[in-house]
Amino acid sequence: MTNELRQEIDQAISRALATALPEMKDIDRDAALTGDIGLDSVQIMNLVMEIEDDLDVSVPVDILSEVQTLNQLAERLESLVGESRS
Amino acid sequence: MSLFDKFHKLAEARSGLGQDGPAPIATPIERVDSATRGWIGGREVILAGTNNYLGLTFHPDVIAAGTRALTELGSGTTGSRMANGSYGAHQALEAELAAAFGWPSAIVFSTGYQANLGALSTLVGQGEYLLLDSDSHASIYDGARLSNAQTIRFRHNDPENLDRRLSRLGDDAGRALVVVEGLYSMLGDQPPLAEFVEVKNNHKAWLMVDEAHSFGVFGERGLGLAEQAGLLDQVDFIVGTFSKSLAGIGGFCVSPHTDLELLRLASRPYIFTASPSPTVIASTRKALELLVNGQELRLSLQRNINRLYEEVKAMGYELGSPDPGPVMAIILPDRATALAHWKGLLNAGIYANLMIPPATPAGLNLLRISLSAAHTDADIDQIVNALRKLRDGL
Repeated sequence: MTNELRQEIDQAISRALATALPEMKDIDRDAALTGDIGLDSVQIMNLVMEIEDDLDVSVPVDILSEVQTLNQLAERLESLVGESRS
Repeated sequence: MSLFDKFHKLAEARSGLGQDGPAPIATPIERVDSATRGWIGGREVILAGTNNYLGLTFHPDVIAAGTRALTELGSGTTGSRMANGSYGAHQALEAELAAAFGWPSAIVFSTGYQANLGALSTLVGQGEYLLLDSDSHASIYDGARLSNAQTIRFRHNDPENLDRRLSRLGDDAGRALVVVEGLYSMLGDQPPLAEFVEVKNNHKAWLMVDEAHSFGVFGERGLGLAEQAGLLDQVDFIVGTFSKSLAGIGGFCVSPHTDLELLRLASRPYIFTASPSPTVIASTRKALELLVNGQELRLSLQRNINRLYEEVKAMGYELGSPDPGPVMAIILPDRATALAHWKGLLNAGIYANLMIPPATPAGLNLLRISLSAAHTDADIDQIVNALRKLRDGL
């Protein structure tokens, strides 16, 4: 179940990248979004909004300041999606 | 390793805007002669990048009121509202703001930024929710950070998207405060307020409208978009600023809920700062009187808005808003073009605003023109002609 959920989240992130940041669809998911990739806060928030709508989950804004990479975001999403579906 | 290293990227971006001529960001304005005239780079320009929507900064009654207060009450209060900074005039302004809306309560803050910070950080807290339009002003986001409430963004001007997010909260939506703006300052667009009201009512959520840019502009009495839409009785809180149509500095929150008064006991941005100076309060009170009775000013502003909007639209420029408003954002294809337009306007004797990411939504590069009731037909002609020449050069 956990692996399936993580796969679903990873796919949602891929779709969100294709929509919000098409030029970065092959981004390294362990790279720091601001430090390594150079995204600004608005770009990150817009990317997350795509993921929220895809997975039908709300991501509180404060989480965005805690995660630095897409894989860290995926981990937080696992618990958020898990809670919303339990 | 320096504490300043993290700012280098911003400094590079600023340098990328060029060193020749007046800076497009934080442009030094050497002198201001009237609501619509100032001096930049040693020459007189039309000010079309301010928020002086009703043109009241040089109104003789506003200046006389401020001058009198300076003489009679001194230059500053030297203290906070909780201590020694609550003068009769502060309370009078609050009573006048509340009366304008026909509501029981109004609180004055020292700046518009602090009005959002003070209201949002206190109205909601741990275990409660803030739902913010994604294009919200920085002061709304910062108020959210200070609040400890769970903050969730919904898509800009999208009531259906808000509905989905409130639905996820279930019964907790009754502890959620939805925040929208009456006029978004980057693109100059307005929210579908009636639809937002319907959504928040369906979920029994609370609604705040930030009328910073719409106060003085919309509605018969200039109270903002909620008044114009006939929805004042559906709104829980309105915040606004004195630094745009009211031509001063400061902010306010008004509410039909008498308990708004309780915020004075808990709002840190209200308590731990000095209160506005007597001069500011006096000039704002006079400006408020002129604003509420300013139907003719609004007619002049609207005339300028409609003229510029139609002319610029006809030139084929892409505009940020489908509706004409006091803020006209021209969307340009890239930063270089936006910068060239900004400089081109300045060379033609017109000061507007260059707006670039990350301050703008969706990575847009914007040239923003703000209009005033005090602009003349000749001013609008000059702006139109300059834009037409720039358009021809694209």
